Amino acid sequence: MPEIPTGGPRTGVIHDLGYRRYDGPRDGSATIARTLFTTGLRHAYGLGRSGRSKVMPFLLLAMSVLPATILVGVLVLTPATSLPVSYADYTNQTQLLVSLFAASQAPVLFSRDLRHRSIVLYLARPLGATAFALVRWASMAVALWAFTLVPTVLLFVGALLAGLDTSDQVAGMLKAVVLQAGLAVLVAGITGAISSVSLRRGFAVVGSVMALIVLTGVVTAVQAISASEGAESASVGVGLASPWSLYSGLANAWDAGITTQVPVDGAWVPAYVLVTLLLSAGCLLGLVARFQKVGSR
Amino acid sequence: MLPVITTAGLTKHYGTVHALTDLTVEVGAGVTGLVGANGAGKSTLIKILLGLLEPTGGHASVLGHDIEQGGQEIRRLVGYMPEHDCLPPDVSASDFVVHMARMSGLGSSAARERAADVLRHVGLDEERYRPMGGYSTGMKQRAKLAQALAHDPQLVFLDEPTNGLDPAARTDMLRLVERIGSDFGIAVLVTSHLLGELEQVSDHVIVLDGGHLLRSSATGDFLRRTGSLLVEVVGTETERDRLGEALARRGLTCRPRGPMVSIDPPPPELAREGAAHDLIRDVAADLGLGLMRLQPDRGHLEDVFLQEGVTRA
Repeated sequence: MPEIPTGGPRTGVIHDLGYRRYDGPRDGSATIARTLFTTGLRHAYGLGRSGRSKVMPFLLLAMSVLPATILVGVLVLTPATSLPVSYADYTNQTQLLVSLFAASQAPVLFSRDLRHRSIVLYLARPLGATAFALVRWASMAVALWAFTLVPTVLLFVGALLAGLDTSDQVAGMLKAVVLQAGLAVLVAGITGAISSVSLRRGFAVVGSVMALIVLTGVVTAVQAISASEGAESASVGVGLASPWSLYSGLANAWDAGITTQVPVDGAWVPAYVLVTLLLSAGCLLGLVARFQKVGSR
Repeated sequence: MLPVITTAGLTKHYGTVHALTDLTVEVGAGVTGLVGANGAGKSTLIKILLGLLEPTGGHASVLGHDIEQGGQEIRRLVGYMPEHDCLPPDVSASDFVVHMARMSGLGSSAARERAADVLRHVGLDEERYRPMGGYSTGMKQRAKLAQALAHDPQLVFLDEPTNGLDPAARTDMLRLVERIGSDFGIAVLVTSHLLGELEQVSDHVIVLDGGHLLRSSATGDFLRRTGSLLVEVVGTETERDRLGEALARRGLTCRPRGPMVSIDPPPPELAREGAAHDLIRDVAADLGLGLMRLQPDRGHLEDVFLQEGVTRA
């Protein structure tokens, strides 16, 4: 055997250790699911992916934070007694950005594994198809929630710095955060279901844009026409048809600072809640069924 | 030693298509080849054993876990390299294998260490840091194999690992499969529709045909000597035929096979050890022909199909 020189110019020697077995600890399914969740959340913002894939999410985030930054600047410099826009309404006003974020990032979490068939490698591991679909959905929902949360928190901090009434601000902010969570759950379900079916990124994005932006535009138009024609219950009823009109309707009913064409009250409130829950559950079931079907192929 | 996989009456029907019919086999340690034409039920069997498909009937257990109740536990201990493409093009092999190791339950630092080890073993060097979309088929197959080994499984299912590889890469891959079974100590179930490949690497061969078990036995049994001899002499077909005719006159049954003469098991008077060899040597010397090759003939996996075809017909 050749002797390894000591004290000579060679300091490092490469040894072939052969195949080494792994007998260390192995995580349970809960930890694996948490790892998958964190990875998914990071991927939704392009983190841990190519530089190019970070552009879209962060550009949209910057655009949604920019008005809040300006508002905070104005608020701190000029005397005011309230925010010019409520926390919940801010999300509503920037809905185009939120929708675009959901439409552009959902294919990352829901189409990629199916299109490239890497789903098979996941399903050959401890997490099953159902758990995989649910964890992916949770990543998307939390990513969306965080997207709406950032400007909300910025506004809240600005309001406190400007010396606005703390209890008012806390109440408004908490209502907005709860509503945004509901919105995130719903929109993640809708865009996830669409992206898991249309595997080409372009189709998935267009499908989500149709469901979120175009549909909302149509619903808003119909709502406005019905309201001006005096058909108030029709105006409220049509609001059940799109995620954003559900969001603003619920915010209106909860007095969270969004004005709708016709106030949502009475029996419409439980109807709005029920439709939101059913729609979310339906999308989730569809998502689970889709991944189970793919897994058995 | 406990068998790695046992199946009993395993059946899978898709409507009227019978992918697997009443399959009862045992798979032990080492490399086991699963052979059959496309559509013979190889991939279906692997998916059932992984718990990804439910069998229509029958039972199976993998590493002591029943496939119906212990699916999750099986998937923890088993690695799987699918036949088709399954790699995201925008991720590097290094990142991907780390992620897949974590999905099998390894911690962050353990996953990194294992991924580096395994990628080295499969022979992906600097290119491991490049996105996999730019890989050649050979590199993709290596990356697929690496993710199957990342969590140090006790058993790997390799579905057509040599698919689409050029001859050199094919040899490399087969050598690797052999090493996984012997040096790494991981049981391997490897499928191929090319019989010759599995002859080289597997200890045991299971032959499927149209969802039925055709045969399951040690590779050596398939390759046993048939008792025939093969002789080749220097020259062209003319020389081959001169030798054949001369041998036939001395009482041996000869037939041409390619450039060689195939001699059926010799008759009783020449059955003595070496008698036929001596005779062939003398005949060749008498004719002034240069002996190039004189070897016992062996069976091939293909023969199983030929024999079964005859008995079925």
